Amino acid sequence: MSPLMFFIIRRLIQYVPMILVVIIVTFLLVRLAPGDPTYILVGEVADESFVKAMREKLGLDRPLYDQFIIYISNVFRGDLGYSYLRSESVAKLIVERIPATLLLVLTAMFISALVGIIVGTIAAARRGAVDLTLSTLSIIGISIPYFWLGQIILIVFAVWLGIFPLGGMVSVGYEYQGLQYFLDVLYHLTLPAMTLAIFNIAFTTKITRGSVLEALTQDYIVTARAKGIPESRVVFRHALRNALIPVVTYTGFNTGVLLVGAILTETVFAWPGMGSLLYDSIRLRDYPVVLGIFNYGSIIVILANLIVDVLYGIIDPRIRLR
Amino acid sequence: MKMNNQGAAYTYHLKNVGLQLVYKTSKVFRLNPRFTVGFIIVLVVIILALVAPFITWYPPLKTLVGKPFTPPVALQPFGVDDLGRDIYTNVLYGIRTSLIVGVSSVTISLAIGILIGVIAGYYSGLLEDVLMRITDMALIIPQFLLALVIVAIFGQNFQNIIIAIGIVSWPGIARIMRAEFLSIKERPFVEAAKAVGLTDVKIIFEEILPNAIPAIIPYAVLQVNTAILVEAGLGFLGIADPNVPSLGLMLNTAQQYLVRAWFMAFFPGLVLSIIVIGLNLLGDGLIEYLNPRLRKR
Repeated sequence: MSPLMFFIIRRLIQYVPMILVVIIVTFLLVRLAPGDPTYILVGEVADESFVKAMREKLGLDRPLYDQFIIYISNVFRGDLGYSYLRSESVAKLIVERIPATLLLVLTAMFISALVGIIVGTIAAARRGAVDLTLSTLSIIGISIPYFWLGQIILIVFAVWLGIFPLGGMVSVGYEYQGLQYFLDVLYHLTLPAMTLAIFNIAFTTKITRGSVLEALTQDYIVTARAKGIPESRVVFRHALRNALIPVVTYTGFNTGVLLVGAILTETVFAWPGMGSLLYDSIRLRDYPVVLGIFNYGSIIVILANLIVDVLYGIIDPRIRLR
Repeated sequence: MKMNNQGAAYTYHLKNVGLQLVYKTSKVFRLNPRFTVGFIIVLVVIILALVAPFITWYPPLKTLVGKPFTPPVALQPFGVDDLGRDIYTNVLYGIRTSLIVGVSSVTISLAIGILIGVIAGYYSGLLEDVLMRITDMALIIPQFLLALVIVAIFGQNFQNIIIAIGIVSWPGIARIMRAEFLSIKERPFVEAAKAVGLTDVKIIFEEILPNAIPAIIPYAVLQVNTAILVEAGLGFLGIADPNVPSLGLMLNTAQQYLVRAWFMAFFPGLVLSIIVIGLNLLGDGLIEYLNPRLRKR
């Protein structure tokens, strides 16, 4: 077996149990909660026969051990419960929301990587006034709660100026096709993506700046400067290239933060992803869906970390040997 | 130029070792304007939280003290919300809530994080491996969502919110603590303590821990910050104690009236941002001060 395959398998062995742990944690939390777990697993339901059927199905009258076996086998068959309020399986409700959330997250990630890397490099190269201003701005950017930033952006651009829609993903009442549909989604995506990107730009800038500063102290930079290579080339070619790996990995490992960011941002802009679903479910006390979103969200983040970890090993062969 | 800087940082570090605390403190302020700004902001915020009852003129959360949706006027400088509550009053009491949540939940996470970090750092072998694996896992799982689920199913009250935020945010602290212990336990004075036959508990808590604490302080400050943001985020999604004024919960209410009443969102969020900016500047300034390599400008 090649070392790379070996490395990938080792990573899989590391990450897959995490998914199991998330599922076990959910199980334990529900059972540890005060009161009858039926209330949480089924939801606030008046229909007696439905509650009875669900209790039967989930084995809630049986010992904890049996309940656990039933729960685990349900989860592995993709059954995460049923939302009585919405007459739909939890898995289906969540899965159909994932693409919208991913679209928002990936767009924001792309914008912020582009802007953050450029700005961060400039900040590191030009110490002094430019650097101080930029890093102060990035601290402010990291600090401002993005859901509030979203609200302010919405008030200014949608309510006061009226140049962007108040929310949603497509214009209501129009049956757009093809290019028109694409442009309509893009139009609705602008404000939420901008909100999420601003938060992440600050983060990427901070990481890039630190990483480039570190790279600029290396011997090969001294060599490059001694050879008379122009400073801009030294910074962007020699330093940035070597500084980029930590930036990329940090961005990947930051998926969890970005997912939570998307969940809050979606709530502001009524973007029809997992966040809006979560918000509505909390309001309706639809607990099966809330639990499902925790499970799915955690699994998405674990998988993203796994992918970044494996890519890291492919880019940098030294990692594989550890 | 590079060499000079490093040389200067090094001699500075050497010189510093024997200096008085007072001199050090004044140096922090002069060297690090960001730290100073952060310090002032945090100080003002704490004072505002303390004197809230004296600078407000309505009881917190009292409804119908004004006409609903009144924009900012003299007696209600931040406006009046949908239920006729004074936003200014609730914002000031909301600062209190934020600070209480921040400090108490960080106390919880410090207790858990230090305990786990200490054990993993002091004892090597299987125990260390197991504890660090758990810590790594806990770092990956989105802490915000875990806290949300805990509060949602255990009940939305103030105490549960603090405990939930506390028990999800220990992993970062555990990691830093372990790293500190790993390096400190190799030092001669620990060898000496072992040689004279001190018990493990004594060595850990009386010899090593006091030396490891300074490294944790800036992260504890940043953790207070995270806790405040998590509380606000939960409040924004409607996971909050309705009987406690909360900046996050105010933003949740404001969300339904963005078109009608901008001030309902603007002021609570602005104050929340200022708190977080202050704590971030303070924490970053401390980290920069404690790590001379970053302190070049």
